[in-house]
Amino acid sequence: PSNSKGLLLHQPQPHPLEHSWTFWFDNPSAKSKQVAWGSSIRPIYTFTTVEEFWSIYNNIRPPSNLADKADFHCFKFKIEPKWEDPVCANGGKWTMSFLKVKADTFWLYTLLAMIGEQFDHGDEICGAVVSVRGKQAKIAVWTKNATNEVAQLSIGKQWKEFLDYNETIGFIFHDDAKKLDRAAKNRYSV
Amino acid sequence: KEGNKNTVKKYSRDFLLKFAEQFTDVPGDFEIPADTSEALMNPSVNASHVVDRNSF
Repeated sequence: PSNSKGLLLHQPQPHPLEHSWTFWFDNPSAKSKQVAWGSSIRPIYTFTTVEEFWSIYNNIRPPSNLADKADFHCFKFKIEPKWEDPVCANGGKWTMSFLKVKADTFWLYTLLAMIGEQFDHGDEICGAVVSVRGKQAKIAVWTKNATNEVAQLSIGKQWKEFLDYNETIGFIFHDDAKKLDRAAKNRYSV
Repeated sequence: KEGNKNTVKKYSRDFLLKFAEQFTDVPGDFEIPADTSEALMNPSVNASHVVDRNSF
């Protein structure tokens, strides 16, 4: 294609993503300062192309290199990684756990599956978060309509396939988590 | 054409991974608060985009 800006002629065209995504970081050192929950979460960068994704990803610490209690999120643009967000409010999450040292590939493959629109019910996805807790790491995929069982089961199954993860994973409704905290039970398992 | 499933921009993992090593510099408009930088940025990478107003 012709281009009036000669300088750009030989540059490859960037690859736009279906959605824009925002990286958010919850800084453990900020958390210790008695701040209200959620107020230490900050948006880091919103990317819209494959190229921008790598430009950020390649410069940030992988989960195995994040400090204890850190949370790093990748959510669709304009969806905040909070229960209170109107898009997330009626949702829930699938969670996987593993040793922190093994989390990096799982996290990367989760991100690539999301931004590459590999999920059949990708519209149901809000985003994903990796959380470092001691020697463990958890990755959760947040979805929109927790009661849409067909969509949630599909997402859970596909996520395990993409990561070649063999353990059973559970889906918790945000509503249950809000009321029951750690006592919230899995509503679905795959 | 909006809403047509064929227009969804799908990229396989293998396709996306081909670009991994080509884009190693942070985007030009990337800025990160200094108090977040150390916790988040990979120390092996040049952190020239840290926002430290005093240095300007």
